[in-house]
Amino acid sequence: MTKAAELAKMGEVLTNGQIGGRRNMVINGAMQVAQRATSVTGLGDGDEGYVAQDRWRHTVAAGAGRYTATQTAITDLPGFANCFKMACTTADTSIAATERFMFVQRIEGQDLQQLKKGTSDAEKVTVSFYVKGHDSATYVCALYDVDNDRFVGATFPVTTSWARQTITFPADTTGALGNDNTNDLELRFILHAGSNFTSGTLATAWESATVANFAVGINSIFESTSATFFLTGVQLEVGSQATPFEHRSFGEELALCHRYFIKDDTDYRAYTNHQSDAGSRAGNFHFPTIMRDVPSMTASVDAGSITFQSRTTHGVAMTIGGSVGTNTKFTTFSADSEL
Amino acid sequence: MINSVVKKNDEEGNWANSYTLTLTNDEVWDVPHNVNNRHYQAILEWVAEGNTIAEAD
Repeated sequence: MTKAAELAKMGEVLTNGQIGGRRNMVINGAMQVAQRATSVTGLGDGDEGYVAQDRWRHTVAAGAGRYTATQTAITDLPGFANCFKMACTTADTSIAATERFMFVQRIEGQDLQQLKKGTSDAEKVTVSFYVKGHDSATYVCALYDVDNDRFVGATFPVTTSWARQTITFPADTTGALGNDNTNDLELRFILHAGSNFTSGTLATAWESATVANFAVGINSIFESTSATFFLTGVQLEVGSQATPFEHRSFGEELALCHRYFIKDDTDYRAYTNHQSDAGSRAGNFHFPTIMRDVPSMTASVDAGSITFQSRTTHGVAMTIGGSVGTNTKFTTFSADSEL
Repeated sequence: MINSVVKKNDEEGNWANSYTLTLTNDEVWDVPHNVNNRHYQAILEWVAEGNTIAEAD
């Protein structure tokens, strides 16, 4: 790059707001937080949802491929300690048309208003991430506008060494994102797809979503049992320049994740103010942060049965009924308000 | 994937505006009747596929 070009890029970064405040719209981009589990085996065949790293959703259609998802320590990428690792355990070389695997982060619309999407002032957006695999491969990184059913994607290469990939998506003057707490935009990594998603022409400019244009030209993560995919340092930012990854402390990242999921398995006593007698217990649990919306709840107790009496985004009131001893305790407790 | 969904009643036998959701991996969730909740959204899709929410015991 010439000195003039370098100065021009610096000027753009200075004037488009990329150095002001928090830049990265992705939560847990460095894969630090994994409240649910650090390793889950036997995934595939419709196992949609959140399994390991917080905020990262697995979208898996029915199919023969199986995989293990882990939070894996990094030793060969300075500056990063953890990554997402996907390892194929059962290959799928006869890919049905409807098959698809995506690693997705869903983002609330109220956190995306700076994109000015759907206006004449709409901004370009840049995705950057560090990636490697078992062999050379090509996959798709994409944005899906849930509110307006619009899509844009780009292929990216994977090799056996860590490399930072940068993709700048064009501004979209069509389709505003809702200013709300629902899933308005998805950042997708598409690693496996059948012909329903590959038979068209990849949508490299924003367009009304056509599934045949979603994943054209990709390899499959299920091509063999030696296939792996490693990902970390994911950043989504306004503008056309990829700035250095915005490292946050573990505490900051965990607090951001708590808006969507809380897990407590510290095995604490329930309602110690009633420990002197046997019988039912009742009490409140205040969430460490206000959750995105009223959560689903699950909990285990060592005796009796638990009932969630009422709940809000701030906390939950519970009773433990049945034959409850004087030292009843929770063994696990989770609240889920993911997108 | 969903294994079963049962309406949940409160102590007085009235519907508690929630469901007991059991997944095929044996996770059990108490799910609020809330369209912004992802588990409730999954229940709606499951029902659209022809499945039925069971009444509370």
